[in-house]
Parts: sequence; C-alpha cells; structure tokens
Amino acid sequence: MRFFLCFLAFFAAPVLAQKIQADLDCKHAGKDFIYDCVIRLYRGGEPLAGAQVSVGADMPSMPMAHNIKPVKARPGKKPGEYEARLDLEMHGEWAVKLRISGPVRDQVVKNVRFD
Amino acid sequence: MDEYAIGVLTNVGLFSFVALSAWLVLVAGELSFGQQAFFGVGAYAAGICTAMLGWPLPLAVLAAMALGAAAAALVGLPTLRLRGLYFAMATLAAAEMLRILFELFHWQIAVGAEKVGPDGTQGFRGIRWMFERGFEPLDFLALVWMLLAGMVVILVLIENSRLGVTIRALGHDPDLARSAGIDVDRLKLGVVAAGGALAALGGALFAHHNTYIEPRNFDIMLGVHSLAYGLIGGLGTVFGPLLGVMLDIGVLEAIRPLQEYRMIAFGGLVAVLLVFRPRGLLDEQAVHWLKSKL
Repeated sequence: MRFFLCFLAFFAAPVLAQKIQADLDCKHAGKDFIYDCVIRLYRGGEPLAGAQVSVGADMPSMPMAHNIKPVKARPGKKPGEYEARLDLEMHGEWAVKLRISGPVRDQVVKNVRFD
Repeated sequence: MDEYAIGVLTNVGLFSFVALSAWLVLVAGELSFGQQAFFGVGAYAAGICTAMLGWPLPLAVLAAMALGAAAAALVGLPTLRLRGLYFAMATLAAAEMLRILFELFHWQIAVGAEKVGPDGTQGFRGIRWMFERGFEPLDFLALVWMLLAGMVVILVLIENSRLGVTIRALGHDPDLARSAGIDVDRLKLGVVAAGGALAALGGALFAHHNTYIEPRNFDIMLGVHSLAYGLIGGLGTVFGPLLGVMLDIGVLEAIRPLQEYRMIAFGGLVAVLLVFRPRGLLDEQAVHWLKSKL
C-alpha cells in the first residue's frame, strides 16, 4: 500500500513544500576531528523549535565514500537552536546534512570547512 | 531499519550504477576514468528537470539517461580511436573538462521566494522533489534498489545473449572480433553510450537523494572508485562490480572503529586483493567454476 502511494506521488503536485533556512556554527571540541556544532533553524524568518534534527556529513570530493554516522541533535539554549557533536574522519571541507523531521520535513546541506 | 543503515544501503545502490557503467566499458576492453562525468550529467540534468522545469521524476530520469548516453557517445566518438592507457587518459581529460564546465555553469530561476539552479562552484541546491512529495528515506531506498535490480536483470539478459558474447569477444581481442565480421567501432560506441546512460541514472538518483550537488562531487575520486569496484569484485559477471561496491562500503563501515586509519587499512586490503586476484574476485574462471557447480 505504502509503495502504491509512493508511485502515485511520482505524478503528484508538490504539496509538502516547507523550506527551512539553517545556520551552522562549529567549533573544535579540543580532540582531533571532533567539533561541537550549534544549528539554528528558521522557517519564514521565525526560529523553528520542536524539530528533530539528524546531522550527517559527507566529503564533497568523495561523495558517499567519506561520510559520518548521523547523530541526533539535542535542543539548544534558545528556541530554534540545536546542538550536535560531529566526529569527522579528517580535516577539509564537509557537506553537513541536516535532516529535519517533526513539525516539518526538509533537508538542508551546508558546506563547512573544518581545519 | 535505522537511518544510518538506510543511508549506507542507499549509498551502495547509488554507487552500483556508476560501478556497473565502468564495468560495462571494461568488459568491452577499455579502461574509462571518466564515468563520473556522466554521473554528473545525469545529476545536473535530472535536477534541472524537476527543480527548475517542474517535470515529474520519471521523466527527468529518462531525460538524464538520454543526455548521459549522448554525452558518452560524444566523448566516445573521438576517443574510441585510442587504445589502452591513451583511451583511459582521454576519458579522464574529458571528465575533467565536463567538471570544469559544471563549475562555469550558472543558470538560476526564481522558484517561489528563492532562486534555484546550478550556480557554478557554489553548486545546485534545492533539488527537493522527494521531500516535496513526502518520500521517506526507506521509500527512496526501495526506489534505488528496484531500479538497480531492473538494470542488473537487463545486463544479465544481455550477458547471456549473442550480444553479450560479442561484447566479450570485442573486449578480449578487437582485431580478432573485427576479422570475424563484428562492427567493432559501432559496438564500442553503443557500449560506451549505454554506460553513460547507466551512470546518468545513478547521478539522477544521487541528486534527488542529496538535494544538493556540486562540481566536486564528480571529480576523479568517484571515477577511480567506480573502476576499482569492477576490478575488486571481478570482471567475469555483472555481479562483480556489485560485490566490489558491497565490499568497499561494507569493509569501510565495518572498520569504522579504526577511525582515521581505516582508509589506510582499506587501501592495503585492496592492494593485497589485486595482487592475488588481478581480474577480481568473480573473474571469468571463478564464474565458470561457479556455473559448473550450479
């Protein structure tokens, strides 16, 4: 049944469009390749609270081969803020993937250089 | 199934398309370091079709495959006159040219409140077709594997047909194949175009899985990996490159506790494997032995 609905969705109009904006600020946590990141989510300019955020990362120059196990972000100090610790494999530019679920569904990709 | 497992299996499926395309060209006797370019053509084409032109995904995928095949044929026309290492170098050069073209490609249109489309080195964001239609990661995984299974069935049918035997004959000795009346140039061009379409299909799915693509996604590392999968898994059967992808991703994930050393460990494993099995695990001899036992 689920796959039948998915098949119908192939030809459906986009009804679930809910674009989310995100800011990402990552700081070295004091250990090799480990970074603490603060994620700020907005929807229509307002902070988006109550979302579940899964944070993964992929190296743009080697997509799918160098990636990290996604971690769940926890709510931060302010509304719309979330915190996650990333354990990377190496320095360089990473495409950080924020997969958002809960009140809205979306995926935002931010390129961040980790040195 | 948790999100991580779904992600790993989706990556295995997506990698398999480009690995199969490199394997197909290898079986026809040529070493291509350029399949990542057609993966990129597919990704950009499908992204433009759905995110900018509003096409449904199936149509976008078909357009991407057609464009991937056309691009591969266009590259193949002048380069297939070359042999061996010269062909490999020419495909690498062509792939780099295409990647640089992606870097120079700027075409954005307003979709709602934001601009969508390729923006040179800044990449192409907002390929959100899957999210806008409520597809879950598990649905996408099923889609990738169904399409992959379909492609594998087609390749197995070709492999066991007269056409498959002809392609293998061409790969083993093109001069002998030509003397047997095979139109070597046309057949090779057909194989290269089919490889381009296969890679483009993978690219189209990759773009919609990732929602974001950029020129660096399609650089030489992807080409090396895709070629290595056929060589690791074996050239004797269509399942060889699939085995190569599963070993690569599987071993890399299994040795994740080794953290930054895991790429060194993996590189060592590949080197040892290629010393002892130069045509891969499922080479022609292994496949012949397996068929005799079944």
